[in-house]
Order: sequence, then structure tokens, then C-alpha cells
Amino acid sequence: MKVAYFSPMPPEQTGIADYSALLLPALRERVDVTVVRRGSRRASRGTDVALYHVGNNPDAHAWIVDAMRRRPGVVVLHDFVVHHLVAGMTVGRRDGHGYLDAMEREHGVVGRLLAHGVLDKRIPPLWEARPADFPLALFVLEHATGVIVHSRYVGDHVRAAGYTGPLSLVPHPAWPVPEITPHALAPGPVVGCFGVVNASKRIPELLQATATVRGTHPELTLLLVGPTAPRFDLERRLQRLGLADAGLVREQWVDERRLWELMAASTVVVNLRHPTMGETSGSVVRGLSLGKPLVVSDVGWFSELPDDVALKIPPDEDEVPTLTAALELLASREDVRVQMGAKAAQLARREHDVERVADLYLAALEGAAGGAAVDDAVLREVSQAAADVGISADTAEATEIARRLAEVELG
Amino acid sequence: MRLAVLRPQVPFARGGAEIFTDTLVDELRARGHEADLVSMPFKWYPGARVLTQAFLWRMLDLEEADGRTIDVVVPTKFPSYLVRHRDKRVWLVHQFRQAYELDRTELAQFGSSPEDRALRRKVQELDRIALGEATRLFATSRNVAGRIEASTGLAAEVLPHPPQELDYRCQGYGDFVLSVNRLDRAKRIDLLLEAVARDAALDVVIAGDGPDRSRLEQLAHDRGLNGRARFAGRVSEGELADLYARCLAVYYAPVDEDYGMVPLEAFLAEKPVLTTTDAGGPLEVVADGSTGLVVTPDAAEIASALGWLREHRDEAASYGRAGKAIASEVTWDRAIAKLLA
Repeated sequence: MKVAYFSPMPPEQTGIADYSALLLPALRERVDVTVVRRGSRRASRGTDVALYHVGNNPDAHAWIVDAMRRRPGVVVLHDFVVHHLVAGMTVGRRDGHGYLDAMEREHGVVGRLLAHGVLDKRIPPLWEARPADFPLALFVLEHATGVIVHSRYVGDHVRAAGYTGPLSLVPHPAWPVPEITPHALAPGPVVGCFGVVNASKRIPELLQATATVRGTHPELTLLLVGPTAPRFDLERRLQRLGLADAGLVREQWVDERRLWELMAASTVVVNLRHPTMGETSGSVVRGLSLGKPLVVSDVGWFSELPDDVALKIPPDEDEVPTLTAALELLASREDVRVQMGAKAAQLARREHDVERVADLYLAALEGAAGGAAVDDAVLREVSQAAADVGISADTAEATEIARRLAEVELG
Repeated sequence: MRLAVLRPQVPFARGGAEIFTDTLVDELRARGHEADLVSMPFKWYPGARVLTQAFLWRMLDLEEADGRTIDVVVPTKFPSYLVRHRDKRVWLVHQFRQAYELDRTELAQFGSSPEDRALRRKVQELDRIALGEATRLFATSRNVAGRIEASTGLAAEVLPHPPQELDYRCQGYGDFVLSVNRLDRAKRIDLLLEAVARDAALDVVIAGDGPDRSRLEQLAHDRGLNGRARFAGRVSEGELADLYARCLAVYYAPVDEDYGMVPLEAFLAEKPVLTTTDAGGPLEVVADGSTGLVVTPDAAEIASALGWLREHRDEAASYGRAGKAIASEVTWDRAIAKLLA
């Protein structure tokens, strides 16, 4: 079977490019894969099935959705909310009507009116202000012959959006842990947080909780790794909470090797976010591989992590005290950290092993490539047999046959 | 209790699964239950026929029969477990192996076309759905349970069952090695014949029939075995018990067998079993140097091991007696108590 593989690839600096670089060698051991050159409009001749990696970033994924519109295929939906992608492919191309249509198709007349408001600059862009309320996933799903998701959360949303085709839940693959020379960043426990520093990553809440915990654990250090988002006032917040001079290690963008070193030096990995776009986190998966206890937001994919590997913080009015209590616990209880870390490493090996992930990809691709032909053959034979004994459409008997077929996902 | 034992049936074929299900019905009745066998023909080719034939089981209504409730259904093989029932206790002999471990082997059914690949995935999906509906899920061996878990993520309880009832006895350790098998390639009778060709003092009796028989007979002829390999064909129960009673040892080396009744039958006749490291289920009862010998699937290794048994009859008898102790623990009383618990 020949697979045309559409994805951002290194050296593009996206999580999905890193993901594909990890997955492809294992997938190539199982099936004939051709990586399609960025910007190509279609798969090459002889392709049995096309695989499209779709995320919310239009710079990285618009060309992929363009290709998918020419040839439907299996979609790996990395984010459920793709409003920013859709905006980039419509408004960003001066196609206001396309944006109006996309909003109306999924959100009715109200959606169209809101889209008018955006185009007329009467209201802030929805992809910045309220993307989770208007995910626009059908823009992508309507061209999917199969969908791969990384979480039940996204799978449920895909079904709720009306997609009825084959849906496969495939875990995010885990990277092998590189050889790292361990070195201590600070004498006490280190709380590591990796990724863009902004409000949706709950950095204000993390800073508040850290400042409180340092009252009882002055040896605790917060490690913030990642660029600061524009308009996010990190320095002022650090000064106000007394973290500017002590208790903080700050690194901007780091390369892969440094990322692993810093994460290995962390006692705990914190990865918070709200709202979620349905995404997974490469940092959390790396943390699992390293056997780190995790603190995450109780949202989306993160909620599905087992309770014995991650402390989950609901993004509600008690978020800061709950987060504080979690950090207190992990700062003071080495036995809990060791136990959670061991479970995390087990989970990475059991669920996120790249060979297992590649097997699941293969199952999804094989199901999609010939699935329609098989469904047709089954329906043809069953309906012929029913007709032979006088069962016609729109009868109770035909309805029962259809129901039984649906129960076992045949036809 | 009123129970229906479910068995897909390949017309005119009879093997271990048929013996198992017939006996199960008898044993249930002997314990005061009202039991019956529900059977349907099964054909798995060409193309999507494997799915449409499987779907027939889904259309059955076995909640009650003749106005009376059926309390429990006991599906035993693919695709009988597609049946709908509020108390579906699957006791699995094996899944549709061509969709799993036999795929891309010489015993494969599905080719490399996208349609065949998708067909195989559909069979797997059926298993995931239908076995997931079971109120209890049993497997006849650890090997089968392991395959279920690997393919569907479902945990099955291991529930072995005894072999067919015969007049098991030991009348010494004669000069021939016995093979009891349906003659198909997966049973690897050819390895035994190649072993016999390497040791002029080895004689074998091959009981059973099947599609590989003519090839095997030709192989025996080509190797000049000249009567040292006797093809006994399908034998009666009495003849089989007699062969078990008189043989030196039993050869049983299929490829990744589900469970395999033959080792237990051999043990009940106090005979050691020679098997191979890749035989699957038999390895759950045949332990090297304890109840038999386990060698790599290589004719020279097999010839050497059988020769050793011929030269060490006291050890062969000791292995056979140890095997009998194991086989005697597998009883219908225990199996049915667990099935109906």
C-alpha cells in the first residue's frame, strides 16, 4: 500500500514537524510512505491513501488542507479548534465569502452575522477572542475519509460535529530519551514549565502558586522555558511576586537537546492551559518518557492522563489554591514524586511507544484505503440476499438489518 | 440452566473444536442443564464473504427459543460471538487467525491490495466490538488469551478444557513415534518426516487426514522412508487409544497452536511429548526435561530428540507420568463450574 504523507517537516519549527520526524521511520517499516513536498497540490500517481496532518496554524497547514480538498484522505486532527487555520485560508487570502460560508455552515445565521462583524471590524477576530466557541472543524472533516485523533476528548467533539466516518484513537508517540548528562539547576526541587509564556498557559496562576509555595519551601525553583508572548507582562509579574531576584530560572527558546536537559533537571513538569484547542502536548509526552511527575490542567487530553501520573488542576475559581496544594505536595513528598514518575515512565512505554503508535496508524490507513470497497461489497451481498427473500427497503425487516449492520460497524 | 453452545461449522470438516463443543453439550447435560448446540455453516472466502457470513450470527435471536428463555449462550469460535445476548459467555478456541498472526505468512488469506487489507481490519474491528460485548470472556489457553489481549485490549480468563474421552492407558513404550493431527501445513508433519529420514531407526505413525496428505505422502516416498512412516488416516477412537497406549512418544509441533488437545491426550496415556519452541499453546503444558522435550523447529534437532527418547525410555516414562499428573487436573467439573459461576 502506498501512502502520501502530508505534514510540516523539520526544519520547520512546529510540534507537528517534530512529531512526523519521530513517527515516519516506524511507519515506513510497515508501509510504503512518500512524504509530499511542502506546497505540492496533490499526491503522486499510484497513491492508495493520503494522510494529512492538520493543526491550527495556517502557515504550516493551509497547503495541506488545500491538497486534501483535491483528494480526500485520512486526517490526523492535532487540534479540534482550527478557527485560526480557517481564517488564514479565507480571510488571510482575501476570501471573506469563504469565511462567511464556513461560519454559517457550522454555526448558522448567527455564525454568519458574527463573521460579518469580524470582517467589518465591529468585533474582535473570533480566532483570537473566542476560537473554542467556533472551532470550525467541519471545514477539515468534510474531506476526511478517516480521522485520527489523540484523545477521546477530540474524538467526542469530532462525532458531535457530525462526522460519521471511521475514527481512530491513536496516542501521541513518545520520543526515545536521549543520552543526557544530568546536572542540577538548583539545590532544591525544580518546577519546570515548557512552552510559550502566556496567559492561556496559566503562567499568572503558576507564578502566584509558586510564590506561595516558596513561603514554606524557599528552596523551590521555578524554571520557565520558552519565548514570552507579545503583550504578556512577565517581568512586572515576577517583580510583584518577588520572583524576579530569586527562585526563578529563565530560558528562552532552546534546541531539542537543551530541552531534554532542562526537563531532566526538573523535579516536576507543569503544563497548564485554558482554554484548550483539543491539542496534546509534546512537552508532557517528553515528561512521561523521563518519568517526571506531572501537574496539568484538568481539560481536554490532559484530563485523560491517568490520575497516578498527573495531578489535575481544574481551571476554576480555586485554580490557584489547588495548584498551590499540588506543588506543595510534590515539593515535600519525594515518595509521591517517585511513585508518580515510575507510573509516568510505564505509561510512556505502554501507551505511547512509537512502534505501537505506528501499528495503530497502519490499522487506520488500511481501514481507510480499502474500507469503502469492503463496505460496498458487504452491503451489496446483504441487500441482495434480503431482496431475494422479499425484504424490500423501508420495511421493518430492512430497518432491523440496517441496525444490526450498524451495531458491528459493517457497511 | 438453559444454555446454547454456539459453533460455526465448516461442512464436512471435523476437528478439535467440534469435539470440544459436542463434549461440552454432553457434559452440561450430564450436570442437569438443558443444553443444545447451535451451529451454522461458515465460509470465509472469497472477498467480503467472511464478513457477510459472520453477520448471519448477528441476525440470530437467541434470547429465547420456543417461548422459553435461553439463559446463557456460549460462543466458541469466530464468528459465533457476533450473536446478541444478554448473557454471552464466550469460551474462545480461537479468533479468525488469518486476520492476525497468520497474516503475511504462507497460511495467509488476505493479500496486499487495499481491499484485502481493509477486510482484515474489519475482521479485527468485529472482534473488538463483539468480544467487548461478552459478559464473561474465557480463552482455552494462555496463548489464546494473550492474542485476545494483544488484538483487542480485552482481558480473557484462561479456562482450559479436557481432551476427548478415550480409553487412555499405557502399554509400554514401543518403537514408533505417534503424530495425531489434521494434515495441513500448519501442523508441520513434514518436519517429522524429514527427521525420520535422518534416523534409520525411527518409525512414525501419522494419524489423521487433511489437505496436506498427498504432499506428505509424496515427501515420505521421496525420502525413501519405505514403510517407516505409516499414514493411518482418520482412525477410530479405539484405534487412537491403542496407538497412544503403545507409542514411544507423541510428536506435536504446529505453528503457534491455540491450545492443542494432543499433548493432554498423550499425557493421559503417560507418553512424553516432543514439541517446538514456537508451538504456542502446547508449551503451556510441555516443559523441556519435565513432561517432554522442546526443541527448535529443525529436522535434525527433532531427530536427535526422538533418538534420545528411544535411548532413554525410563526418562520417557517419567516425563509421561509427570504429564499425566498435569492432564488429570483439567476436568470438566472444574471447567463448567468456572464457566457458569
